[in-house]
Amino acid sequence: MSDSVTGTFNIALGLDADSLASCVSCGLCLPHCPTYRVSTEEMSSPRGRIALMNEVSRTGVGDQSFIDYMDECIQCMGCETACPAGVPYGSMMEATREALAEQTGYQPRWRRSGFWFLGHPRLLRGASSILAVLQRLHLVPSRLGLPKLPITRPRLRSTGEDVIVFTGCVMDAWMRDVHVATVEILEALGLKVHISGDEAPCCGALQSHAGLGGQARARAAEVVMGLKGTASIVVNSAGCGAQLKNFGAILGTAEAAALESRVFDVHEFLVTRLDDLEALAGERDAERQRVAVQDPCHLRHVQRNHLDVHAVLEPFVVPVSLDDEGLCCGAGGAYSVMHPDTASSVRDRKIDAIGRTGCSMVASANPGCMMHLAGGGLDVRHPVEIIAASIGR
Amino acid sequence: MHRTGPIVELVSTISDAAETIQQLDTSQLVKHLVAAIGADSVKSGRLDQHLYAKDASVLRGTSSVVTLPRCTADVQAIVRTCTANGFSFVARGSGTGLAGGAVPLDNAVIIATARMNAVEEVDVENGFAWVQPGVLNLDLSRALLPYGRHFAPDPSSQQACSIGGNVANNSGGPHCLAYGVTSAHVLAIEVVMADGETVMLGGLDAEPSGYDLRGLFVGSEGTLGVATRIAVRLTPNPPIVKTLLLDFVQPNDGAATVSSIIAAGVVPAALEMMDQRAVEVVEAFANAGYPTDAGAVLLVELDGMADGVAADVETVRRVAHANSVRSVRVAADDAERDLLWKGRRNAFGAVARLKPDYYLHDTVVPRTKLQEVLEKVYEIADRYELLAVNVFHAGDGNLHPILAYDSREPGVMDRVHAAGAEIVKASLDAGGVLSGEHGIGLEKRDYMPLMFTSADLAEQDRVRSVFDPADSANPMKVIPSGSRCGDFAGHTGSGHTIPEGAWV
Repeated sequence: MSDSVTGTFNIALGLDADSLASCVSCGLCLPHCPTYRVSTEEMSSPRGRIALMNEVSRTGVGDQSFIDYMDECIQCMGCETACPAGVPYGSMMEATREALAEQTGYQPRWRRSGFWFLGHPRLLRGASSILAVLQRLHLVPSRLGLPKLPITRPRLRSTGEDVIVFTGCVMDAWMRDVHVATVEILEALGLKVHISGDEAPCCGALQSHAGLGGQARARAAEVVMGLKGTASIVVNSAGCGAQLKNFGAILGTAEAAALESRVFDVHEFLVTRLDDLEALAGERDAERQRVAVQDPCHLRHVQRNHLDVHAVLEPFVVPVSLDDEGLCCGAGGAYSVMHPDTASSVRDRKIDAIGRTGCSMVASANPGCMMHLAGGGLDVRHPVEIIAASIGR
Repeated sequence: MHRTGPIVELVSTISDAAETIQQLDTSQLVKHLVAAIGADSVKSGRLDQHLYAKDASVLRGTSSVVTLPRCTADVQAIVRTCTANGFSFVARGSGTGLAGGAVPLDNAVIIATARMNAVEEVDVENGFAWVQPGVLNLDLSRALLPYGRHFAPDPSSQQACSIGGNVANNSGGPHCLAYGVTSAHVLAIEVVMADGETVMLGGLDAEPSGYDLRGLFVGSEGTLGVATRIAVRLTPNPPIVKTLLLDFVQPNDGAATVSSIIAAGVVPAALEMMDQRAVEVVEAFANAGYPTDAGAVLLVELDGMADGVAADVETVRRVAHANSVRSVRVAADDAERDLLWKGRRNAFGAVARLKPDYYLHDTVVPRTKLQEVLEKVYEIADRYELLAVNVFHAGDGNLHPILAYDSREPGVMDRVHAAGAEIVKASLDAGGVLSGEHGIGLEKRDYMPLMFTSADLAEQDRVRSVFDPADSANPMKVIPSGSRCGDFAGHTGSGHTIPEGAWV
């Protein structure tokens, strides 16, 4: 029920009491939060957002400022890595957004339809191609920050069942070249590859982040249905990988939990075959190229396997770490489209950090980060593109 | 001097600060502030006020309006607007303080300095840098890295706390044992006084003439004005650093080693102690290889020239073995050293793995009384059915007893406060002082008479009134009620006691 005079509404966030109590408000998360770093305001910090969740849970009353403050979070989870108390911030934020989406106008119909599209690959690819044509005709405003979209895509063919490559939604429509590179490397290692394609169209990560739990669970259930068997599932999008690895909690079924254990980020998978990769790389050049490595938050703060990227790149180029402790780049899935100003201020810090390495090329293992950084004028490649190019030479 | 438990008085004091804020009309104040510094620097929503009414302590106040200045002129405009409209003000850095120093009382306007975060000038030849107060402590040292320099005071919250906050609290940190606390590292401070005028305290000369007003300002906890620019001393990074982890079965052997190291003529850069519970929670967070079955561990850091450090390492080893150390681990490289420190620096937050809330004390006792007071702390905590965790700057006897609890347990706060009061009393009885580095703020304000006579307090209050006669700057902090003879009505007349409900 909303009150138009005071601008407030009643809301039940339904957050777990122990989670709410777990923040001791020490503030050690503040410098690790990208939005706090650019705004320096308490309401843009993890500590502040948790305090607001507590207050709104206590009073049962929210207002538009509460929605805005919750929506400003990029959900990078840098705070979870920094938090000495182990506060489960990510799940609290997703639950809060789900309550807002269900009980307020937080996610209007047009946004819900946008997310619905992601689960319908043929429609998505069709719409993407139309958008690509419109781009060529200069009919798409550049302030949307979209990359140059492909009109057609190279074909991907399954060659066997040794390993499954998860292709996903937007990534498959926009960045299939990365899938091609992934398949080339796996095949060079002697593996037969199954392409997930439309059998398992979308992991539901963006829907989860938006608080659209129902859509996210529907997408997760389709993936679990579509990817039966025992083969390892290799994922080259950090965000999708993190979501697939959380299916047990999302769906609460034994099959979902079983699927989780088969999921590997592509670098996590390749690092187990490092000797074979070294053999493919051959003798190291004396003058190998230095490449800055941007750690996607969903590898560094969620999957916590970002060092594997550095390890698998090492036979091919000199990977150079950034000095910003893994602070988010501002992409955040759909965040950079919804909050272009904040996303671009956050990106400025990342561009500075990359600049300090003196490298002209950046490796990034997540499609959202890749597009966002490219939008900032950087030469960005997926690590598998760097490796595949090197093997193909 | 006899007092009957100040905490009992605090809690039983009647004040309706929470009600007052509802009735307070801030619309005119907001209008004037917006005109002075712009709408995007003024926040007055219900939730904004809620967030800035608390820092990292267990105290909550009531703020009226939150301001986010960008420069000295903004701060002057805010202070003048406050004064003209009968409001007091509180400067706030990152809100990581543990004594409630930045908790607003008296419906004070918050002056959050986080946006003033520029390192304005670095002068390596003359060994200083001008910084704004919102610069984070660790950010400053990172900015100085290319020059081979750092800012020596390193509170455990150094990644998050601000230089302005360090100045306000005269903050310490593990490495202050050898290098000295903040006052030894601040050369000059530009201050906006309560009347809106700007003054420069101290100077860049080696020995500025006249009274050391800079020294007076450092540690004044925001009660003398707002620091808007600070000249800090640059400390050269040591050529060699060795970090040792000493592991003891018996805590008293660890405590004895602390005194013996100093007695042997070694002043380590840092000398930290953790008890068994602290080691357990720290290891769960940091995975640094801390021995979770140790009765106590010491973290000893030695720095300087290679030969001197090598000799000191041997001395520490010898002393530790004489005190039945179980093992001595020397960090092999920077990565191992960083991991050990990561554990130590995150210890307080990591205590949340035991219980969701903690109350952290900060007292100093003579080094030789460490073990005696520690035993007393455990005894007090046991008696009040609380969990005591000890992790502290052993080298200078700066205790940080942590009482871990769950605030949802009925009546637990009464026990926490009563136990806290006894711990403070035990420290003072052992010849210690009220606070090492967290400040007095609101938390320890009413303990001040345990340490000072009423004549002492009246004199301190007279000093304050020279800078701020109307009590506009961080009102009702540090000096307890009734210290000034005759004129302590305060301009809102809302009484000078910790408001009921301030303890959360």
